[in-house]
Amino acid sequence: MIISSIPILLVDLAGSILMIVLSLLSLRLVFKLRQKDRNDIIWTYLWWICLALSLFAMSRSAGHIVKNVLLMWGQNQIWAAIRPYSGAINTVLFVVVGSVTMFFERIWKIYQLIRKDRQALQAAHKELLYISQNLEQLVHDRTDALSASEHKYRKIFEVSKDMILVTNREGLIVNLNPSGYAMLGLNPESDVIGKRRFVDFLAEPETWPDILASVEEKNHSTDIELDLIAGDHTHKRVLMSGSMGEQTDKEDETFHFLIKDIQKRKMMEEQLAQADKLASIGELSSGVAHELNNPLSVILGYTQLLLRNEKKSTERFTDLKTIEKHVRNCKAIVENLLSFSRKSDTEKEMLDIHKVIDDVLAFVQHHSDIQNIEFEKEYSTAVSPLMIDEKKIKQVLINLVVNAIHALEKSGRVLISTDLKEPTDEIVIKVTDNGSGIEKRHLTKIFDPFYTTKPTGEGTGLGLSVSYGIIKNHGGHIDVESATGKGTTFIITLPIASNKWPLLEPVDYPDSRQEN
Amino acid sequence: MKRDNFKWAFSSGLFFSLLMNADTVLATQTHGQPEGLYVHQIAHLVFIVSMGSLEFWLRQRNLIREKGWRYIQLSAVLFILWNINAMAVHFMDEHLSILGITKIDLWRIQIETTANQNGIAFLYYVLKLDHLLCVPAMFCMYYGLKIIFKSQKRASGSDPIQ
Repeated sequence: MIISSIPILLVDLAGSILMIVLSLLSLRLVFKLRQKDRNDIIWTYLWWICLALSLFAMSRSAGHIVKNVLLMWGQNQIWAAIRPYSGAINTVLFVVVGSVTMFFERIWKIYQLIRKDRQALQAAHKELLYISQNLEQLVHDRTDALSASEHKYRKIFEVSKDMILVTNREGLIVNLNPSGYAMLGLNPESDVIGKRRFVDFLAEPETWPDILASVEEKNHSTDIELDLIAGDHTHKRVLMSGSMGEQTDKEDETFHFLIKDIQKRKMMEEQLAQADKLASIGELSSGVAHELNNPLSVILGYTQLLLRNEKKSTERFTDLKTIEKHVRNCKAIVENLLSFSRKSDTEKEMLDIHKVIDDVLAFVQHHSDIQNIEFEKEYSTAVSPLMIDEKKIKQVLINLVVNAIHALEKSGRVLISTDLKEPTDEIVIKVTDNGSGIEKRHLTKIFDPFYTTKPTGEGTGLGLSVSYGIIKNHGGHIDVESATGKGTTFIITLPIASNKWPLLEPVDYPDSRQEN
Repeated sequence: MKRDNFKWAFSSGLFFSLLMNADTVLATQTHGQPEGLYVHQIAHLVFIVSMGSLEFWLRQRNLIREKGWRYIQLSAVLFILWNINAMAVHFMDEHLSILGITKIDLWRIQIETTANQNGIAFLYYVLKLDHLLCVPAMFCMYYGLKIIFKSQKRASGSDPIQ
């Protein structure tokens, strides 16, 4: 086949020139890229590829141009001499281009790693630069924030009504807030930190390891009820929750406690339970008393009727008298039960309570063997006349004073004091003796009807329950505080408000209504 | 230590005894005519493999999302095709004795085939125009680099040519 060689010649010559030009242009671009960042491994890699490609393109293209020119001039022998060299150089450059190109994956991996490190370095550098430029302001801001935070938590620590306590494993107090000082009966000025042990304030110090164990078990512990003995020897019921400090060093480990005084709450709960119990007993007593009262009245009536027709000298008269006496006793008990259950009628009038107390003391001193007993009175001038049922209040006071005398066992002191409780507008009457006191186990039962510690026949056990009923009927309440061997105080609280407002019971109070 | 000395003495002895008894078998190997062609063809193969690996890793590393690298990928593919083309021409020229090229004058050539097949002659003629593959390959390389260069220029916000 005879064919024109012009296309081959043209494409060969033009292509060779273009190859040289394009490869050099590529090399120039990569050179510029590399100049920008000589440490960038990708530009270095591309530089080597382009360099190899350029050398290859120049070698091959130059060879082709020379070949075509020599062949056109008929210089076949010269070309034959050059040809092996041109071919060999081309072959070597092929291999060089191929070898360099094959490193791409490895180079790219390195490039990525370097770029990642560089970015991290740049970010760190930026941050460091910012910190160094704004160090003073940053320190200032941080100090302010810390100060505000410290102030906030210090405030919580200072004003908390609950005890905030930090101790070490041995129970040595590391930190204690003002409420803690107050709760433990310690002087805030006293040297407590690092000197006193919290364990010494526990009513049962042997429970301390158990407390720590329960805190350590879950890193925190809640609702641990404890009894504390404060510095002033008062007992306090507290609710404790604890957690562990964050120190890793065993020697520095601390335990943090939040301790709430629940003494008042406990007392209120006990009082409520007591009031509930007495209310229930009152209901029962009232029912029984009502049922007994009518038959007793009938028995008494018929007994008195029979007595009228009987001569006093007869044995039958004596028997009927015995029946009458016991029926009257029964009626008295029924009446007392009604008083306890607050179902008896009251006749209230405006009276000076101090005069009532004086009358009671005069009556008791006249009727009792009280030669070695000293009576003291501490009357508050702030106490105004009260709307009370004189007879019943006297009955209450006689009960309390007689009980006090019995507790003294021939000698001692009975103090009757009155006071005005300002914020609640209540009058407080206290009957205190320094006798043997009441055991704790009896305290919750002393207002129960028929509960007595006296031998059978010496007391009915209705005195205090009747007193309780009468005071409740006056809108007040009666409490007892006692310590074995130290004495007892009965505290009667009567509301002044009862002077102005009608009482709960449907009793006729003409005077009070006139006042209103 | 003694063992190392023994090894050294043994190796040296072996080397000198071989040198003293050298004959043609142990002399430098001669390289005849076809060897250069084989080396050249193998070099083409190396070129193909390297460009193939470049194309593969460009795809694998997801670089072809960027226009510049996409052109470099195209350049690699065109270089592969050019290498195949060049290998085919070398094969036809040197291995198969089916072609005979005679220069009639300055502007014409005669391509003769043993079986007088014009198809083979035409294919040979077309394959001889290999610059139609390698020039676009080189252009794609240049254009791809130019796009990368421009993108770098934009990224840095200033002319990187300083």
